[in-house]
Amino acid sequence: MSTEPQSLKVDTPTAALTSTRRRRSGGFFSAPSGWLSVGTLGLFALVAIFGPLFVDSPSGLGTDILQSPSASHWFGTDDLGQDVFAQVVWGTRISLLVGAVASLIAICIGTLLGLAAAYVKRLDPVVTTATDVMLSLPMLPLMILVTALAGPSVVTLITVIGLLSWPEVTRMIRANGLVVAAMPYIDGARVLGAGASRIISREILPAVMPLVVVNVLLTAARAVIAEAGLSFLGMGDPSAWSWGRILLNAQRSGTIATAWWQTLFPSLAILLLVLAATIAGIRYNDSRDPRTRGV
Amino acid sequence: MLRYAASRLFRAILTIWIAVTVTFFLLRLLPADPTLLVVEGDMTPEMQDALRSQYGLDQPILQQYVLYLGQLVQGNLGVSFRQLVPVSELLLNRLPWTLLLAGSAFVLTLLIGIPLGVKAAVGRGGTVDRGVQFFGITSNALFIPSVAILLLVVFGSNLGWFPIGQAIDPDTRGLAAYASLLHHLALPLFSLVLVQLGPYALTLRTNMVEVLGEDYITSARSRGLTHRRVVWRHALRNAVLPALMLMGLQLGTLIGGAVLTETVFAYPGVGRLIFESVQQLDFPVLQGAFVILAVTVVLANLLTDLLSMVLNPRIRT
Repeated sequence: MSTEPQSLKVDTPTAALTSTRRRRSGGFFSAPSGWLSVGTLGLFALVAIFGPLFVDSPSGLGTDILQSPSASHWFGTDDLGQDVFAQVVWGTRISLLVGAVASLIAICIGTLLGLAAAYVKRLDPVVTTATDVMLSLPMLPLMILVTALAGPSVVTLITVIGLLSWPEVTRMIRANGLVVAAMPYIDGARVLGAGASRIISREILPAVMPLVVVNVLLTAARAVIAEAGLSFLGMGDPSAWSWGRILLNAQRSGTIATAWWQTLFPSLAILLLVLAATIAGIRYNDSRDPRTRGV
Repeated sequence: MLRYAASRLFRAILTIWIAVTVTFFLLRLLPADPTLLVVEGDMTPEMQDALRSQYGLDQPILQQYVLYLGQLVQGNLGVSFRQLVPVSELLLNRLPWTLLLAGSAFVLTLLIGIPLGVKAAVGRGGTVDRGVQFFGITSNALFIPSVAILLLVVFGSNLGWFPIGQAIDPDTRGLAAYASLLHHLALPLFSLVLVQLGPYALTLRTNMVEVLGEDYITSARSRGLTHRRVVWRHALRNAVLPALMLMGLQLGTLIGGAVLTETVFAYPGVGRLIFESVQQLDFPVLQGAFVILAVTVVLANLLTDLLSMVLNPRIRT
């Protein structure tokens, strides 16, 4: 949840709109950042799906306590003798699951509200105000409060993060939707008798779809960080491993100063995943922008 | 100008009201029954009823809501389940430290971020520009506890340059106390700024690039003004205002970051209190912490808006 990717504000009316199918094929993988980021994301997905089949769930009370990385324990062990590599692998599944599903929830709500606000003039002030209010509230303390009340679990984390992450999406989709809604072909559709829901879903949505794709990635990146933050504060699912929980364990057992492997590897996992998702999002956007395409 | 200020004030009040209302209904709608959380173990139904009426839970929900708002206006945030102290008292002891940490991070981010963003925009494609772009994307992906732990391990435990835990050495007086304060503040502040700075400088760069392409900049150049004057007087002014307002919008994230930083460094602010209360499931404290942080953020946001208003001739008139 660190920082909101305001800087990654995808400034795109033209970029998203002038895109054609023809353009999609060329751009994305033409730069190394394109396939590197997608490759990293793919790797994480493979670990999340298949990793737990090959790596035993980290169980407590081994005799190898606080071992530094070695051939038998690649990422070392924690103060209970649990293998950190196994924790990171099992944590990947939870982090990715929460990131992906929460992002989808936020995208659905955010896109719906953004498009509705862009096309239906009466709804606009309400949606804009709600978005601004949500954006100006401190989200992490709110998420902590709600998670604590609902009882920490994976489902709670997904729901809470998903339901509280839509404002950024709404803001971006609305801004782009307004540009599209002002275009002559929308008037044309209206003259031909199309209703609001048809215009939104058939005419405006396809035009902003590329931006939705970018938002899926950026929102998922934010959701992963939010999940790690909540787990680090002790709001994670107590029965599931997650990257934030590994850090919390290190913090609680007072081993952060000595057992560097216990905090370094989960930290690297978070950094790599979030970075890959962000870069893939930016790259996807750039590859559709005629100004930067091929750079 | 007055109308703008009034609309900002109205927005601030609306936001606080929504935050407070959401908190109230969350507490009532979610499964957790407050009476079951006060004391562990068995309670007779009579004891539960007594507790419910003590908390006003036996009244209709609308009446409870009015009661709750009334209490809030008087600064009553309830009593901590675990420590049996008024929540407001707990929070007010901790709030100054969070304000100090987040406030310094805010100012420092502006002070470093603005020159960095301007330099990047002016020398587009150069080393500084590439650095800012790389840093902007990377620092956006940083997880604050990771950064904080790294700094703590390297500069706190291994090199021993900075103290860990607490916000000040209680035995120091006068000037030494200020030095101790800064000494304790350094690492938490640095981790927070590191994460905030990148995206901020990047946004400022984007704004500045746009402004530098505007007609009035070309016109200022053609009038023979020096490069330095054009950039720092004419362009910066119009790039900084949106950037300042943006920083105001970022305050919520900044506070979230402070919560995590304080947790790692055992810095005695509201964030650390939240961490402690989470472990004890102390709901009134969690609720109070959210309310007080929300109010802080909204007020600070209002201040930045009013400040931009004073600085911005277009709104001022």
